[in-house]
Amino acid sequence: MAPGVERSFTAASTLEEAMAARRQGAAVLAGGTCMMRDPRRGIDLPEAVVALHRIPALSKVEIEPDHVVIGAAVTHVVLGRALHGAAGFEGLVAAAQGAANPGIRRVATVGGNLCAFDFAAADLSPALLVCEATVELETFKGPKLLGISDFLKDRHTLLTEAIVTRIHLRRDLIASAHIRLPLRKAGDYPVAIVSLAVDKDKRCRIAVGSVEPVARRWTALEQAMAAGPPSALDPERAAGFALEHNDFQGRDGREAEGWYRRQVLPPLVKRGVAALLKTEGLA
Amino acid sequence: MTVTFQLNGEDCRFHGDPMTPLVDILRQERFLTGTKAVCREGFCGACTVHVDDEAVPSCLKPVGLVEGCAVTTIEGLSSGNQALHPLQANLEAADAVQCGMCFPGMVMSLSAFVRDNPHASRPEIKAAMVGNICRCTGYERIVDAVADCLDQARKAGQLVGGINV
Amino acid sequence: MSELSATVMNLPRRDAQDKLRGRTKYTNDRVRPDMLHAVLLRSTVAAGRIRRLDVSAALRCPGVRAVATGADAPGLYGIGIADHPLLAIDTIRYHGEPIAVIAAETEKQARAALAAIMLEVEPLAPVSTMAAALQPAARLVHEGWRGYEVITEGGARAGNIAWEAKSSRGDVDAAFARPDIRIVESSFTVGRQSHVPFEPRVAIGSWEDGRAHIQTSTQVPWTVRNVTGRVMQLPPGRVRVTVPPVGGGFGLKFDASIEPITALLARMTGRTVVLENTRQEEMATCLCRENAEIRIRSAVTAEGHIAGREAVVLMDCGAYGGEQVFLTTMTAHTLGGNYKVGATRLVSRAVYTNTPPNGAFRACNGVYNAFALERHTDEICDALGFDPMEFRKKNVLGDGDLGATGQVFEDDVLGPMLGRMEALRATTGTSEAKADGRLYGMATTVGTWFVFVGPSAATVNLNADGSATLVTSGVEIGSGTMVQSLPQIVAGQLGLAPDQVIVREADTDAAGLDVGVGGGRTTVSIGAASVAACAEVREKLLRTAGEMLQTRPEDLVLRDGRVEITARPGSGMSIPVVVAHAQATTGPITGSGAFTARNTPAMSGCAMGHFIDALDIPVFVVHEAEVAVDPDTGHVEVLAYRVVQDVGRALNPRAILGQIQGGVVQGLGYALHEEVTLTADGRIAQDDFETYRLPLAQDAVPVAADLYEGAPSMGPLGTKGAGEVPILAVGAAIGCAVARAIGKPVRQLPLTPPRVLRLLHEREPPPELSHIAPGWAANTLG
Repeated sequence: MAPGVERSFTAASTLEEAMAARRQGAAVLAGGTCMMRDPRRGIDLPEAVVALHRIPALSKVEIEPDHVVIGAAVTHVVLGRALHGAAGFEGLVAAAQGAANPGIRRVATVGGNLCAFDFAAADLSPALLVCEATVELETFKGPKLLGISDFLKDRHTLLTEAIVTRIHLRRDLIASAHIRLPLRKAGDYPVAIVSLAVDKDKRCRIAVGSVEPVARRWTALEQAMAAGPPSALDPERAAGFALEHNDFQGRDGREAEGWYRRQVLPPLVKRGVAALLKTEGLA
Repeated sequence: MTVTFQLNGEDCRFHGDPMTPLVDILRQERFLTGTKAVCREGFCGACTVHVDDEAVPSCLKPVGLVEGCAVTTIEGLSSGNQALHPLQANLEAADAVQCGMCFPGMVMSLSAFVRDNPHASRPEIKAAMVGNICRCTGYERIVDAVADCLDQARKAGQLVGGINV
Repeated sequence: MSELSATVMNLPRRDAQDKLRGRTKYTNDRVRPDMLHAVLLRSTVAAGRIRRLDVSAALRCPGVRAVATGADAPGLYGIGIADHPLLAIDTIRYHGEPIAVIAAETEKQARAALAAIMLEVEPLAPVSTMAAALQPAARLVHEGWRGYEVITEGGARAGNIAWEAKSSRGDVDAAFARPDIRIVESSFTVGRQSHVPFEPRVAIGSWEDGRAHIQTSTQVPWTVRNVTGRVMQLPPGRVRVTVPPVGGGFGLKFDASIEPITALLARMTGRTVVLENTRQEEMATCLCRENAEIRIRSAVTAEGHIAGREAVVLMDCGAYGGEQVFLTTMTAHTLGGNYKVGATRLVSRAVYTNTPPNGAFRACNGVYNAFALERHTDEICDALGFDPMEFRKKNVLGDGDLGATGQVFEDDVLGPMLGRMEALRATTGTSEAKADGRLYGMATTVGTWFVFVGPSAATVNLNADGSATLVTSGVEIGSGTMVQSLPQIVAGQLGLAPDQVIVREADTDAAGLDVGVGGGRTTVSIGAASVAACAEVREKLLRTAGEMLQTRPEDLVLRDGRVEITARPGSGMSIPVVVAHAQATTGPITGSGAFTARNTPAMSGCAMGHFIDALDIPVFVVHEAEVAVDPDTGHVEVLAYRVVQDVGRALNPRAILGQIQGGVVQGLGYALHEEVTLTADGRIAQDDFETYRLPLAQDAVPVAADLYEGAPSMGPLGTKGAGEVPILAVGAAIGCAVARAIGKPVRQLPLTPPRVLRLLHEREPPPELSHIAPGWAANTLG
């Protein structure tokens, strides 16, 4: 920032106010847990920011019989608490309650987690992928709805002219699970994440985070499991399929090399299926 | 920009960059040096304070986000001649302290935890400590002290912090 | 009341309340608004020549009050050899090396002015590894090594070998040539460990009445004083060092580093100057536990007698010699410890590389040599079919056995300690059931360490209110010696309660020489000096009281704050009455005491280039770990951990158990989680808490510990230091337990999940140590 220039800080109380600031070039400030680390990475803080935490509509979780709406400014802790006990959302709850550490979870938001596009180890991405979530954006041209897969792929460009406002989830899951593998018990970013869900048609959805730069569905494994008999929902069998259909290119990072991330996927699938079988929906 | 918030029960007005980390204001402007800036990235927990009664890292909290909030630091938890918070008393009794630098943050994290989780198990206590690093003690005595604190409160029929159950 | 029973107690810490309330002012809490802030210009290349360094534009930047370069502090410092400039002079030897420093009104202004320094560097190809440094044609990290002042004589040096220490006892060639032996050879490599004290290195310097005053977070106030004198070319007496409570040290603060810079800037500006490493700087330039490479060969008979042993230990000192020069000594006592060996020869070399300099870390050198020796011992047992526990019981050092330098060990200590471990295990039970289908391993390992004695001084002033003030250069770094063991010792000597003993924080203007808080020496060395000071106080006190009571001093005793006639409890008078009388008649009662090592002899000709030929106070440990290894992911879970530690005499058992718990968990970090790697351009890759994985609460286990008392010690009341050694054999116990769990040799630490998974799938390459020559002698400078 040039000397003498005062930083512009808008705590928007409506979405319109936020969009106005955004049009002026303000960067979106959610919980701050990502942006506030930028100076340490040699990136200056933006000259103008707009904070979303005062917009009521973005700070609540609405749970309806057939769907759930999550505001982008909802924190991990609030999300985990709100969906705790809601059948089918075990995986999303585990993601919200297992990410980072408790202090960060009280601050970091759903929107922030999804918009940190250089953060491959985000827990919510694979968890929302298996929910087949819809991301609602407010763009300069108006609202826009987008599937989570497409959003994750294109968010780099999408976010130049938009704010993530809400996440919409159908309540069509009977069970889900979220298995993360940090190198310690917890506290470091997982080197691999496997999220799994079973929908009302007993079809299994599987997504993988942190292994590649962007989380994605494991379509090859889903198809293999769908082709098999219903007994395919067996931990060992699922791990066997995972080994056979492992089409991931592990990314090399400071904490782990790509081969390791790739290699641990079958055992994580095994754990995930075991966790699924323990849920109320499948037990 | 001016940011107004409550700091340990008193009005606090800050004039300056709203993206300044809260910890820097506490330490450099208010000389509340009990809040420690150790990693500045949200991993160590040494800078933990309560914002509207929630334990959060103050290193990643731009002061602009605490406008209108109530901030409590370790100095505000048991000030002046006040008795130690029961958790602090248990940590002292367990001879848990060594270099001591992690403890203000540890106390701020865990004082909120014992308030909210009166029936926590040992594994739950450890899970609550994932964001508070201690390099000296090897943790177990801190866990002992938290467990003792909860035990005593349960026996007295109180939540830690003195509220009747 | 005996002296011992008046001293031994679980005294609580007097500093706990303030630390828990956030009121303790560490050095970095003492920054005032009127201070100047200093920031360093650090090198962004690992090796190079400074072609141009022009700071004139930086001096004109807003708020800047001074800029200093190497030319302003031309003296060199070091341990053993003076090879280290305060700020780089002409040559850059590591990534992150300080080149210039700016003092400005605010940190922001100082940082902004860094960009105005004109620096041109001609980069050189860095010598990044010890393998590269030992190549015959390797570029010299220190071209002018021959010209350096040698501070301690005796070490062999050449080119990139900063220092070489050897020990040799008996005819090793003959032992290896025996027809009845089998030879077992093992190679190991270990990475660095970063201390990560919560308070980084920080100093506040001022210039007062023509002298420097440095307040700093250090373990070695006298070293800071002396190094500041050296680099500023001042008599060291013109430097005063005081030490507030220290927010963790673990050995990192056992050397001077940035502190003298504040004195330099204070002299230039007449202002008080603060310099604090950012966390990134702290980790990127940490004086880590060194990475090391070890080859060890043993000749063992079918009966399990170790007839001969030889080893080569390469220690990376980084860009400057530092502690590693001294620590080459330790191999003789760590790798050369634990077991009785027929003939032995060991060489330990500190090797210069273009990497950040290494330093001292809790049980320096011992941690990895214990790992190597214990894993090697298990490989011997595997190769020859011995039971590892029986082999250890048969071979551990006992009364009259010889160490590597020919030192004669006294008393059977390790043998009975192994028995105590079995008894401890019988009470705790084992945890195999918790492995729950994972691979299970248990290992019992031993370790040999020592108390680093050396000079200490103490003064005790007896006050008219009956309290005593203890003045030493000791520092409270968290281990509790200044708030527990020392007041306990003084109180026990003078018949006072420990809270009547005031402990002065270190001030080199007030207290005599001390070599610093480290090596487990404070309780022993400062404690012994304090006992000596108390003897003088007692003598004066009893003489005065004897005159007052018309009784012979030898019939008097100090107890419960009174001087009493021994046979008549409750007789006599209170200490304040005696002190008041003395003050009015002979003057205030004070005593001073001093202590240093007795220099236990080694065998003539056995030790070459050693700073310590023999251990004055050996310390032994037995560590036992139970682990479960996940065969799918390589994660190691520690199921149980047990320690039997030789403490001599436990003055504060509860405090010692706290040190053991903390030291073991720090060792678990070293063994399992904490990994430092160097990038291709010579940087430490893990310079933050995201990537440097410290153990967290869930990674810790409660350590079951048994304190072994009664082994010989020259320490006061038979004490040995207890805070240094708990980390010693953790890498060993975990390494051996994991090797047994997975059925594969473990030759490298840390055992991160990816490494364990590679080991399981036999994809982990064995250590490549072709730069260690096959013949032992070829690895020495002759």
